[in-house]
Amino acid sequence: MKSLSIRNLSKTYFDPYAGKHVTAVQDVSIEVPEGEFVSIVGPSGCGKTTILNMVAGFLPVSGGEIVVDGRAVSGPGPDRGVVFQSHALFPWKTVLENVAFGPKMRGVGPKEREAIARDYLALAGLSHAADRYPNELSGGMQQRVGVVRALANEPAVLLMDEPFASVDAQTRMTLQEELTRIWQERRPTIIFITHDVPEAVFLANRVVVLSKGRVLEEVEIDLPRPRSWETLIEDERFKTLSSRVLQLVRSA
Amino acid sequence: MSAVGNIGAGRSAASERVRAAFSFLLPLFVLLVVWEATVRIFDVHPGIFPGVGPVLRAGAESVANGTLFLHIAASFGRVLTGTTLAILVGVPLGILMGVSPGVSTVLTPLFRFFSVLAGIAWIPIATLWFGYGFGAITFVIFNAVFFVVAYNTLLGVSGIPHALRNAAWSLGADRKTMLFEVLLPGALPNIVTGIRTGLGFAWRGLIAAEMIATNMGLGYMLFLARDFYRTELIVFGMVVIGILWLLIDRLILAPLERRTIERWGLVR
Repeated sequence: MKSLSIRNLSKTYFDPYAGKHVTAVQDVSIEVPEGEFVSIVGPSGCGKTTILNMVAGFLPVSGGEIVVDGRAVSGPGPDRGVVFQSHALFPWKTVLENVAFGPKMRGVGPKEREAIARDYLALAGLSHAADRYPNELSGGMQQRVGVVRALANEPAVLLMDEPFASVDAQTRMTLQEELTRIWQERRPTIIFITHDVPEAVFLANRVVVLSKGRVLEEVEIDLPRPRSWETLIEDERFKTLSSRVLQLVRSA
Repeated sequence: MSAVGNIGAGRSAASERVRAAFSFLLPLFVLLVVWEATVRIFDVHPGIFPGVGPVLRAGAESVANGTLFLHIAASFGRVLTGTTLAILVGVPLGILMGVSPGVSTVLTPLFRFFSVLAGIAWIPIATLWFGYGFGAITFVIFNAVFFVVAYNTLLGVSGIPHALRNAAWSLGADRKTMLFEVLLPGALPNIVTGIRTGLGFAWRGLIAAEMIATNMGLGYMLFLARDFYRTELIVFGMVVIGILWLLIDRLILAPLERRTIERWGLVR
């Protein structure tokens, strides 16, 4: 896993309804060193998903640059793995085939890529679901497979776009705990987009608060790991950090 | 416990199938009874409409002397050729339209126009171009299937969620894998639906075309029987045409469609 630099990124587009150019992202710079977990929070319309789509290469940038592992990037590529809000698993492929898709694209042979896929499925406790189709899984399991599929391709950075927003509250907490465990085990470099403040604080080393397309403030999260909701829910430091981020988001 | 449950489930699924078959066949059987009764009660002249018996005898005769199978084989050969060609051209064109807004903008109005004309409206001009026989009829079938398959492929491709394509790109897919691993399987349920609908048109077009443009095939069999006032053979041919289509649709096309759609959870 490698580092990610977002330098002076901006995005303007023409709004045909308003009849004028709109600035969605303005001069945003975020540094994510190798192995760090950064959350980006902000109210809807703050530009967080636009930033992620530009980093992923799904949207062209209007200004600035995105540097992954020392190289400026444009267009989507396997160096940036993406976990989508709508799991985006291929419905016609089994769980195993979905997870093995990235390695297959890299030219890994059938036996080896199956081994890789099984290894990552085991990491997320999904070994039993290998031969099922995505529509046969619960929402929580679909999201787990989505995370594992991105990880199995060994990207330089992992981009997560509100991946837990559409699962129920209990499942979401479990998924958050699993993600912190996986992060501790494998140390991927992660950008995690969310509008959920406790989620951002719980997961990250650092929370970037976004407002109207600009970085409002960055907050270091110096909570010890491993993290679990059972201990953190009563933790004074967690409460202080959360309310600090919440105030920033609400002032945004 | 679970073994007992499974046996119970298997039995109920089987009895469900029997019931479905029964409820499908019963009205057809009733029709048969009403037909025979009507012919007898009103003493209908066999030259106007024959009873069940003469029709069955005519059928047995055409089975025994082999002509029925020659006609069926000729018709099937044309349907198979025309449909295969239509799929080979229609699917790639539909995908091209699905990925390229420019191509789709230019071709969509043309498709709307020609899909209205698809089928038998082409018979006169097809016979001018290809002469009487295999070419003209295959062209009519191609025409009936092609537009429906291409249009449904287009619908299928544009119905693939954008996130799936983005996911494939960001997992390192190139254009070729995008085509074969994302666009084609993603559009497959629609393609199968298109083939099923198109074949329905093709089957009707086939019979019409064969009455005009050939000397072999099920449509020609009807036409020829008319020339000899063999009403019972005409009715038998009509029954064969209907039954063959039901068999193709029920035993091949519908299960194929169900399987691709249900397995992947792509119920629309």
